[in-house]
Parts: sequence; structure tokens; C-alpha cells
Amino acid sequence: MIAVLGLVVGVVAGLLVRPEVPAVVEPYLPIAVVAALDAVFGGLRAMLDGIFDDKVFVVSFLSNVVVAALIVFLGDKLGVGAQLSTGVVVVLGIRIFSNAAAIRRHVFRA
Amino acid sequence: MSDEEETPGNRLRKELPDERPAAPPAEEAAVPEAEPGLTGRQRLVQGLWPPRVTRAQLIVAVLLFGLGFGLAVQVASNSDSDSALRGARQEDLVRILDELDDRTQRLEDEKQGLEKQRDELENSSDQAEEARKQTVEKERQLGILAGTVAAQGPGITMTIEDTKGTVEADMLLDAIQELRAAGAEAIQVNGVRVVAGTYLTDSDKSVSVDGNKITAPYRFKVIGNPQDLEPALNIPGGVVQTLEKEQATVTVERSDKIVVDALRAAKRPDYARSSSQ
Repeated sequence: MIAVLGLVVGVVAGLLVRPEVPAVVEPYLPIAVVAALDAVFGGLRAMLDGIFDDKVFVVSFLSNVVVAALIVFLGDKLGVGAQLSTGVVVVLGIRIFSNAAAIRRHVFRA
Repeated sequence: MSDEEETPGNRLRKELPDERPAAPPAEEAAVPEAEPGLTGRQRLVQGLWPPRVTRAQLIVAVLLFGLGFGLAVQVASNSDSDSALRGARQEDLVRILDELDDRTQRLEDEKQGLEKQRDELENSSDQAEEARKQTVEKERQLGILAGTVAAQGPGITMTIEDTKGTVEADMLLDAIQELRAAGAEAIQVNGVRVVAGTYLTDSDKSVSVDGNKITAPYRFKVIGNPQDLEPALNIPGGVVQTLEKEQATVTVERSDKIVVDALRAAKRPDYARSSSQ
């Protein structure tokens, strides 16, 4: 419950504060958000499976974000930033879908 | 990109997620933290209510706060007014930039043309003002010649005494023509302005100028250069000698200020109209 509250408070804060995204971070923010979403879905699925561990969640969340940003950064340096970020989004999207399918089976039994 | 599924003992599920419903008991058995009696749905409800302040909940809340914040910021910055360009491909951006450059060039050209036109108009209005001044000046000069305005300046006065009544119109006409040839600019005879269309006729013992009968003595008031006018009248065989031969007395006086104030009404031509050419 606290976790859900944290998410809601974060969204509200982001909408209210509307900070100017620094130019350095700007290309990585969308990918980082998608990676974090993937970690969150993974965590939710683990919770439904009854195997949730906060330490694992923290590590997976942070490493997801860092690795995603790193890949985009590397892609930018190599001149294939757009394609690589597309690839990362596709991979993360697939993982989110499969996790969502597992969550769906838990919640709706279908 | 590690996540929950990469914990030891769960690799199979990661690779074959669709098989999960087929063997739920085995998997739950493999998970040490799993509470055996609960389904996923019950665990979800349990996690949501009642709210428990545990370390795990707080940590996840912090991370989710970060996620929500980033999400909102990204969405907000993406829905800015320039989002149309943000999502555009590089080729499109190049094309849009080219179009803008072309447009700028066109507008620049148009601006230059309009500025040039403005300068021309300003110049031409200046020129029109100058032309108007010149026209007014010319009108005054022509008015003097046409006899519609009074004139003053240096000149001479010529008086012809004709006690015998021998002076005729052609003699006066000779005098007028001699004066004109000598550069007379405005002439009046006994209160009648002499202009280009002036005619003289004999009538009884006197002379008519433009139909106005005038009698001796004939007083010519002439504006012009006195040094030219007087010798022109006095040349041997000229006007003065001819008149004196007819027993008339002629006196010519130079003056610094002659006023020719006899006026003639401006006559509007019946057919001829001024042309702009």
C-alpha cells in the first residue's frame, strides 16, 4: 500500500513541480522509465508468486535503469543511439508483456 | 537487467512463462518465502491492505516514487508544444529546416522589395512637393506674362505726347514690339495690360487697345532691364525717331521701381485643356 502511495505521490509531484529536464539526462530518461517499469512489473509478479524480496527488487530496479541508460549512451557514442534505444524498448516491452501475462493469470486466473 | 525472475530456482519460469499455470504447486514449493496456502490474488490483497510500514514497503515506495516522478516529468516534457518536432525523423527535420530557410529567404526578398518601394514613394512625394513648388513659381511667372497678376520691378516709363493726333495704332504696335524685343516683361498702356494677344486698332482720333479706347498722352509703363529698353527705343531710325518725325513728343525715363498693376482676367480656353504631358 505504501508502495502504491509512493508511485502516486511521485506522479503528482512530477506533474506539479514540472522540473526542467537537464539536457545531459534528457535522452536517457524515457529509456530509464521503461526499464524501471519492467523492474516494477517483475517485482509485482514476484510478489504474486510469493517470492518478493526487497533487496532483489532494489538491485534489479537500479541495475535496469543504469544498464538501459548505459546502452543508450553507448549507442549514442557509436552513432546507433536511435536504433539501440528502439531495441531496448522492444526487449523491455516484451518482458513487460510476459510479466503482465503472469500477473494476469494470478489475478484473474486466466 | 536483472530482476526478480533471475533469483536462483526460478530460471525455468523466466524462459517458459506460459507454462506456469501447468505446474503451480511445484514452483511455489521451490520458493522458500512463499506462503503455501495463499494464491496470488490473496497475496496481492494482503500486500495492499492493511497498510504496513515495513522496510520492504518503504524501499519500494521510494523507488516507485522515483519511477512516478520520472514518468510524469517525461510525459510532461513530451507533451510540450514542440512535441511535433521532437518526434520527427531526421530527414523530416532537415526538410522542415530547408522549408523554413526558403521561407525566410522569400520573406527577406519581399521585405527588401517593400522597403525599396517605400523609399521610392518617399522620394516621389518629395519630388511631387518640389514639382508643386516649381509649378506655383511658374504659374506666377506665367501670370506676369499673361497679365493676370500685378508685377513690379525696374524698367522705364515712356510718354508719347500727341498734340497733332498723328499717332496711329501701328506706331504704338511698333513701340510695343520693340519693347518686347528688348526684353520687356510686363507692359501697360494707359491702364491697359499688354499681353500676347493684345491688338491695337485705330478709332477716330485715338487708338483702341483690346477694345479699350485710350487717348493721348500714351503712357507706357514697362518692366525690364532699363539699360536694354531705353537704347532699343532710341536707336537711329527706331521708335522714338519715327514718332518724332510724326510731330509727337516722346520722353523716356528710367526707374528703379515700375509697378504694372493693370490686370487682365484669366480667360479659360473653350476647347484646349491642359495636358499632363
